Amino acid sequence: MATDPTGSSVSRRSLLRMIGAVAGSATMYQAMDALGFAADSPYQGPIDLQGAPRGASVLVLGAGVAGMTAAIELRDAGYQVQVLEYNARAGGRNWSLRGGDRYTELGGLTQECRFDKDLYINPGPWRIPYHHRGILSYAKRLNVPLEPFFQVNYNAYLHSSKAFGGKPQRFREVKADYQGHVAELLAKATRQNELDAAVTTEDREKLLESLRHWGALDNNFSYTISDAASVRRGWKKKPGGGLSARPVPSEPTGLQHILSSGLWEGVSSGDDYDMQTSLFQPVGGMGRIGEAWGRELGALIRYNAKVVDIHQDESGVTATYEDTQSPGSPQKATADWCVCTIPLSILAQIPINVGTPLATAISAVPYASAVKVGLQFKRRFWEEDEHIYGGITYTDLPITNIGYPNTGYFGSGKGVLLGAYIWGLNAMEFTSMAPEERIAKALEYGSQIHPQYHTEFDNGMAVAWHRAPFTMGCFGMWSAASRAAHYDDLCRFDNRIVLAGEHASFLGGWQEGGVTSALDAIGRLHQRAVAQGDKA
Amino acid sequence: MSRLFFTRYRSRAARAGALWVLALLPASLAWADDSAFTSKAGLDAQSGAAIYSNICQGCHMPQAQGAVGAGHYPALAGDPKLVSWEYVAITVLRGRNGMPAFALPAEQAEETRAVHLTDAQVAEVVNYVRHHFGNHYKQSVTAEQVAGLPHP
Repeated sequence: MATDPTGSSVSRRSLLRMIGAVAGSATMYQAMDALGFAADSPYQGPIDLQGAPRGASVLVLGAGVAGMTAAIELRDAGYQVQVLEYNARAGGRNWSLRGGDRYTELGGLTQECRFDKDLYINPGPWRIPYHHRGILSYAKRLNVPLEPFFQVNYNAYLHSSKAFGGKPQRFREVKADYQGHVAELLAKATRQNELDAAVTTEDREKLLESLRHWGALDNNFSYTISDAASVRRGWKKKPGGGLSARPVPSEPTGLQHILSSGLWEGVSSGDDYDMQTSLFQPVGGMGRIGEAWGRELGALIRYNAKVVDIHQDESGVTATYEDTQSPGSPQKATADWCVCTIPLSILAQIPINVGTPLATAISAVPYASAVKVGLQFKRRFWEEDEHIYGGITYTDLPITNIGYPNTGYFGSGKGVLLGAYIWGLNAMEFTSMAPEERIAKALEYGSQIHPQYHTEFDNGMAVAWHRAPFTMGCFGMWSAASRAAHYDDLCRFDNRIVLAGEHASFLGGWQEGGVTSALDAIGRLHQRAVAQGDKA
Repeated sequence: MSRLFFTRYRSRAARAGALWVLALLPASLAWADDSAFTSKAGLDAQSGAAIYSNICQGCHMPQAQGAVGAGHYPALAGDPKLVSWEYVAITVLRGRNGMPAFALPAEQAEETRAVHLTDAQVAEVVNYVRHHFGNHYKQSVTAEQVAGLPHP
């Protein structure tokens, strides 16, 4: 153990607890997989809806990812499709704010986005894992170019306001030191024959060698100041060329400090299946997908349409809606079937004649509170001063995340950071603030990590999802108990109406949940429609 | 569709079962975010005014005037339903429609990133909304009275 002598006296119990936190995750994952919590995208390629009955029609409520998945496939299959959308744009939560955009939140406060050309913030989804093949296939179909999104940046920070004097630590160093110390402890236990019950004599040497390799240990199985450790965590003086070439190894942080800082919680940020390399983002902002999708569907989408009533009977489904630009004159849209993708937070307030199981399910899911703040700075100081190119810094401050732009590297102009990405109580508190106050708070907290904030700040945008007029919340917050009680009821057809959206998926909050739930719903819709046959 | 008051109680056994599942399931994995660093601390504020301005006004708005978009947040200003303190308290404790419950047991609150308010905090904020925003209900309720209501 290097700097911290107490590190070597970590108790067996805390060692085991630590290993449990790492090794236990595999067991945990299996349990989750069995329950469908960590489910892979079931996307199996383009849906095949052959033999649509002549004249059959479908009303799609909502032009977000789920609604537009349903609309494009049903249209292509020959259904008559009409989409009603509350916003004046397509995409729903697939959305980017760019310079010149105006956004009015619930309560009436309006923000004017003053970002420079090509700069943006994604208030909603901002990354697509490589295995979300549904949403990726639509991006491809719609000719939306994608570029890499960096979930993990070894040179970004892990930060605790209560550890290391509040000084942010490089992810690379925390990871190398955590891993190195754990490997050293395991090697020690192995060599003292404490793991004999679990490891055969034959495997003992292999385990030791693997620990040396995994933890960057030296020849004595120590994690200490060494070339091996510095190859992982970085050098005190980097190797170069010529006479000044000789590198100087850096000194690892002691295990005790790493453990008590809590920063180890951030080490696995890219290990979850959903966050593993490769991830992608659309060039120009996530909203490019929704925009292209809207163009593709063209006149099928009726914008500024606020649904106020949904009624079904033996012959079809009628949605009553108002034009948000001229309220007070209700209009009606009717079809044989309805795919309803309106968020449950809003659908729970709309009169709809469905049975008790579905009605109860619609009311059973509160929506997550979340806030994102975009901050434009006069220069890309995180790149110029700190050599951070994309990725995420994690902090225990209420802002939780600082996301660096995964595009436009080395640009000499301005840059936009995701200055806050907030959940839970902190999100409710930020939601309760006026937008400029949220921005001021994001600056106040973020400047503890990047003091350049003080001099480089230009302008910002703050979106609190509970104040978003079209969702009233971020995404459906199922608990294991509410899922067990209501999920199937939510997804089942109720006569002529079926729901779709991330809320009707096990991919909560992911666009892939919207895609796959819509495909599942229209597959069942198609079966029903075919069974009824052509319209007279 | 609005379901007044509570619809069902969960048995102690069912609650214990849910907790067992929770022990296995870190909430963050199921959702489109990575929030390991999200604070799990409860709200420090104890006064009704502070609780309202930190949490409630996010949706119900600073003057309790509510808001209308694709759906709406009800105004608490001049809302005749506030005549029943039990109605208000049960709404806070158990949630209603899309509104989250604020009295989930700690483990369930963590699972859904809900905020847990104590009975004393619930009593304070119930009194605050019934005494402000043009509401003039004289009665004040106590934490003990809130404790007597069905919690989720």
